[in-house]
This record gives sequence, C-alpha cells and structure tokens, in this order.
Amino acid sequence: MQKRHPLGTFALYATVIVTCALLLFPIYWMVVTALQPSSNLRAYPPQFWPTDPQWNVFADLLAKHPFMLWFSNTILIAFATMTISLAVSILAAYALSRFRLRGGQGLGLFILTSKMLPATLLIIPLFAIFRSTGLVGSLWSVVIAQATLIVPFCTWMLKGYFDTMPPELEQAALVDGCSPLGTIWRIVLPVAAPGLAATALYAFVVSWSDFLFGRTFLTTTDESWTLQMGIASLKGEFVTEWNVIMAGSIMASIPIIIVYLFLERFLVGGLAAGSEK
Amino acid sequence: MATVQFDQIKKSYGAVEAIRDFNLDIADGEFCVFVGPSGCGKSTALKMLAGLEATTGGTISIGGRDVTELGPGKRDIAMVFQNYALYPHMSVRKNIGFGLKMQGMAARDINTRVEEAARVLELTPYLDRKPRALSGGQRQRVALGRAIVREPKAFLMDEPLSNLDAKLRVQTRSEIVKLQKRLGVTTIYVTHDQTEALTMADKIVVMKGGEIQQVGSAEDLFHTPNNIFVAGFIGSPGMNFFHGTVATGADGPVTRFGETKIALPAKCAAMAGRDMIFGIRPEHLRVAESGPSVGLTLVENLGTEKILHFHTPGQNMLELDRTALANDEERDAQSMLIRVIDDRRYRDGETLNLSFPVDKIHVFDPDTNEVAG
Ligand SMILES: Nc1ncnc2c1ncn2[C@@H]1O[C@H](COP(=O)(O)OP(=O)(O)OP(=O)(O)O)[C@@H](O)[C@H]1O
Ligand SMILES: [Mg+2]
Repeated sequence: MQKRHPLGTFALYATVIVTCALLLFPIYWMVVTALQPSSNLRAYPPQFWPTDPQWNVFADLLAKHPFMLWFSNTILIAFATMTISLAVSILAAYALSRFRLRGGQGLGLFILTSKMLPATLLIIPLFAIFRSTGLVGSLWSVVIAQATLIVPFCTWMLKGYFDTMPPELEQAALVDGCSPLGTIWRIVLPVAAPGLAATALYAFVVSWSDFLFGRTFLTTTDESWTLQMGIASLKGEFVTEWNVIMAGSIMASIPIIIVYLFLERFLVGGLAAGSEK
Repeated sequence: MATVQFDQIKKSYGAVEAIRDFNLDIADGEFCVFVGPSGCGKSTALKMLAGLEATTGGTISIGGRDVTELGPGKRDIAMVFQNYALYPHMSVRKNIGFGLKMQGMAARDINTRVEEAARVLELTPYLDRKPRALSGGQRQRVALGRAIVREPKAFLMDEPLSNLDAKLRVQTRSEIVKLQKRLGVTTIYVTHDQTEALTMADKIVVMKGGEIQQVGSAEDLFHTPNNIFVAGFIGSPGMNFFHGTVATGADGPVTRFGETKIALPAKCAAMAGRDMIFGIRPEHLRVAESGPSVGLTLVENLGTEKILHFHTPGQNMLELDRTALANDEERDAQSMLIRVIDDRRYRDGETLNLSFPVDKIHVFDPDTNEVAG
C-alpha cells in the first residue's frame, strides 16, 4: 500500500470523527434527555451530562403503560413482515433474474414504480379491503400492508444480487442431481447470504419504524398498538414528559441493534469469491 | 460409460438458429472434441447434451437411452464448466462430494470416494479449504474431481483449460487425456483451440455457424479436409489458397501460378476449363531449382522452423469474402506462406523457385466450397 501523507491521515481521521459525531449526537441526546427531568431540557446553558441521572424513568414507563405488550406486538409484526417479504421476494427475484419471462423487463420497472407510490395513497383501498375481510384491528393487517410495500423493493434488491451470480453455479448443481428448488436452497441462498441479510435488515427496519399503517388499522384498543403508536400516545395535550418518550425510544432501538449485530456477519461481501476460475 | 448420439438436433433462440441438422455418433469411451470459432454453437450443443438447454428438434441418446426430455440430474453425466462454477460456500471436500450426496450415498462411502478422487488429482492437502483459498490450477482440479468422483456415463467439458496460463494448460491437457484413458469414460470436450483438439481427441467435430463441417481423426482432418473451412481452420499456420483455371497440359491437368504452369492431381482432368480453388499447406510447399519464382516479403525465424511469406500472384488471388473463409480474421489473401525446417539462410526480398507436390494439392469447388472430384 502507498504510504499516506501525515496531513492526509489527519484529514481522514477528522472526517471520520466529524461524521460519527454528527450521526451519534441524536442518540447521545436521546439518552441524556431520558435521564433528566423534562424541565432541565429548557435550561440554559444546556446540560450535556446529567448530574443526577433518573434511572427510574424506565421502571415508570413499564409500570404506567402496557409497554411490553406494544413491544411484543411490534416484534411479531416486524418478524412476520420480514419473513413473508423475504419468502415472496426471493422466489420473485430468482424468477426475474434467471428466466426470460415475457415482459420480464417491464415487470422489473413496474415493481419499482409501485414503490414510488406514497403509502398514504394506498391506505384507503387497503382499509376497505381489511374491513371487508375483517382484518382491521388484527396485527395481520399491518403485516400485509407493509409487505405490499416492502416486497417490490426487496425483489428488486435481490434480483440485482442474483444477477451477479454466475448461472453455471446452479447448472453445476442441477447436473450433480440437485432438484431446481433444492438448487435454490442449497446453492443460491447460501451464496446470496450477504444480499439476503441486507434485504432482511431493510425489511425489518422499515417494518419496525412504521407508524402510519398501525395508526390506521390498529386503533380499536391500546392492546393491539405498536411501539411507535404507544410512544406517540405519551405526548400529552398540555405537558409532554420528554424523558419518558426518550426512554421508550431507547428501548425501541434495541431490537434494531440486535438484528443488525446478528446479520452483520452475513453482510460482509465476497462470499462468492472463488467459485470461478 | 456409454455411447452418445445426436440425431437431427436443432436449436433456435427465437429467430436465431444456433444449431442446425446436428448428427453425431460418439462411441463408448471415446474422447470427442467439438472445435470451431467463437459463436459456432459448441457450448449450445454441449448444454443440450447435459440437459441444461432444451432442444428445438431431434433426439439425444446416452447409452442407447433417449434422454431428450430428461433433466440434467437424470442423465448421469458430469460437467466441467469454463469458469469451474465451484460452490463457493463449501469446502473442497463438500464440493467434490456434492453429487454423491445428491444421489443419497452414505456419508462414509462419500468420504472414501472423495479421498480417492483427491488422491488421484493431488488435492488431498486442500480438502478442507474453501475454493477462494485455491490457485487457478487447483480450482480447475477440484472441478475435475467433482466430475470423476461421480463415475458418470459421460464427461462434458466446456473449455476447461481456457483460464489457465499456457504452461499449466499444456500440462493439464495431457493429464486430462491420461485420466480419461484410465477411466475409459466417454468424454465430450469443447474448445476453440485447434491444438487442444488435435492433441487430445480420438474424434474431432469441426463446427461453424451451427453446423458440423467434418467429423474425423486429427489425421483425417489434416490430410483430407472436406471443405475450404476445415482446410483453413486445421493446421497452424493454415493452408494456403489460390485460384486458377484448369487447363490440359502434355502430362495431365495444369494451372497457371503467376506465369508458370504447375501440375494438378489427375482428378482435375475432368474439370478442364473451370475456375477452381486450390489449397496447399505451408509445410508442403518446397523450395526447388525450378518452378514458379516468388519474392520473399517477410522471413519469420522461429528457431528450428522458419515461416517465409510471399505475395500471391495477382491473378491467383482469392476474394475471401466469397468463400467460407470470409470471417477468418487472421487470413490474408495477398500472402502465401512456406514453412521450412533447414539450415539455409533466407533474406527478405530474395527470389526463390517453388515446387508444388502434386499429391499435396487440394482442389475445391468455388461455388460450394466443398472438395472437388
Ligand atoms: N440465450 C441465448 N439467446 C440467444 N442466442 C444465444 C443464446 N445463447 C447462445 N446464443 C447464440 O447461439 C450461438 C452459439 O452460441 P454458443 O455459446 O454455443 O457458441 P460457442 O461455440 O460456445 O462460442 P464460444 O467459443 O465463444 O464459447 C451464438 O451465435 C450465440 O449468439
Ligand atoms: Mg462456448
């Protein structure tokens, strides 16, 4: 490797530090806000480190609200959405990538345009469908609504990934006596693991951060709320306890971090290296 | 081990006819090479045999059984791909054993067979590595291992050596031939390199534009090519061509090469008055005391052998675009070549007399490009 100029090294680290600071400041501020009384928020100069951290805010939150219920609702929705979206988009993307389908090219583009429609536009027809099928108030309504938006994008992402895999890999497996579905399971999916991990992470994050669908379809009782709806409900009409809201937000971010840490080892590229020449 | 038959095989991609009228019988244990320029349909023919491409018409049989409608896994063949297509997420051991596992063989038996194949291919130290930690030559051997461990009815190989460097290619070439002879498995091998074809094959199939041009041994193709394309394709450097009118001389048919008459094979007597295309290989032209005189334009000294270039006389020059040689980019109608192995020194611009041995002259019909008479 070429030796870097000391000034270049300095510029590199400066950029990294500034970028990290910009990205991490909101998270830091979320923690700081959660740990002090709301009144301190408006103090000037602002307090960058709470002198008297109020740890009981988490206990209060759990005691006063059905927080764990919202939490498990959201987990269920996010995992169901992720699983269904992946299952559908793997098969769709594989078909689009490997078979010369009539109108396949147009279909790829069409899939992307459906992603461009704003979710608000779909919400009324979806509501009508869920009402006539009796799904309003059920977690499934949110899962299905989210999947309709997530599947097209995941399909498109995975197709791009499958396109980079040499078709000879599957041909070799077929010649070795593997069935077509077995080829997907034993060869395509393991080799596409980085792409699958990225897609799964995307599906999980999008589903986890949903507010609109939950707010529309799950209004009947607060037992079917998602975390995001629950946190939003903490905002009072006259006083808002920002420390409680931030405590909820901290807990809401934990699953995302766990899922990311789990998928991270698959995200590293280059798994396909070595299959060719 | 089995025979392989193509019967009236056709393949079209929409309006593009990739393979036409493909008929071929390959005997049990034979090493058959498909050779031809890029895009002539070699890989397509092989993929149809493997079951990876559907045929548009005709039947394919392996070991006397019609397999045209069977999937690739049911044909009991093994294939080596140009890019090897090793499973990147599996160790060498798993890669080689995958086919056996798919057949439902017990893990212990798989292991025995894999280790035996690895021993033959000298892959034993690498069995637990992933393909990405292997050199190009080792990957190539893993691809071979995956094929031989299955003990299939036939090996199919699509340019398996084209990613190796020149030295390794020559070495692996002879290893593949030895392995094939020892195992006795019918092998169909695709290449666009005529040296590979000539050195490896029992039977060579020369293809062009989706059609078989000629099937035969290296000898057959070299000494009795069926048409201008095969004559020009086989041999390095390729055959010289020129055209001329057949006349009747005192001792039999003759034609003019430049200003001088040269004798033609006796079968040309029947073609008197017609304009024909003649071919003679660079190694068959001789420097002589008399005969047509030519001026050397270039002398290429390759150590033992020398390639001498001279201008084709104007009236003998071919219009390549009107022959089957139209797409051969290396060919230059304006020059002819002589290949000599001797100690004489040749200089650019030197004038030589040539003799054209009458039994080495090939005669082709300019309308059909086929051999005449
Ligand atoms: N999927 C396809 N769709 C349309 N045409 C195709 C397809 N695959 C191959 N062809 C055409 O069929 C012809 C034969 O292709 P093939 O791959 O068999 O050539 P090849 O002899 O193997 O050439 P090379 O030496 O370059 O590998 C070519 O003209 C090619 O353009
Ligand atoms: Mg090819």
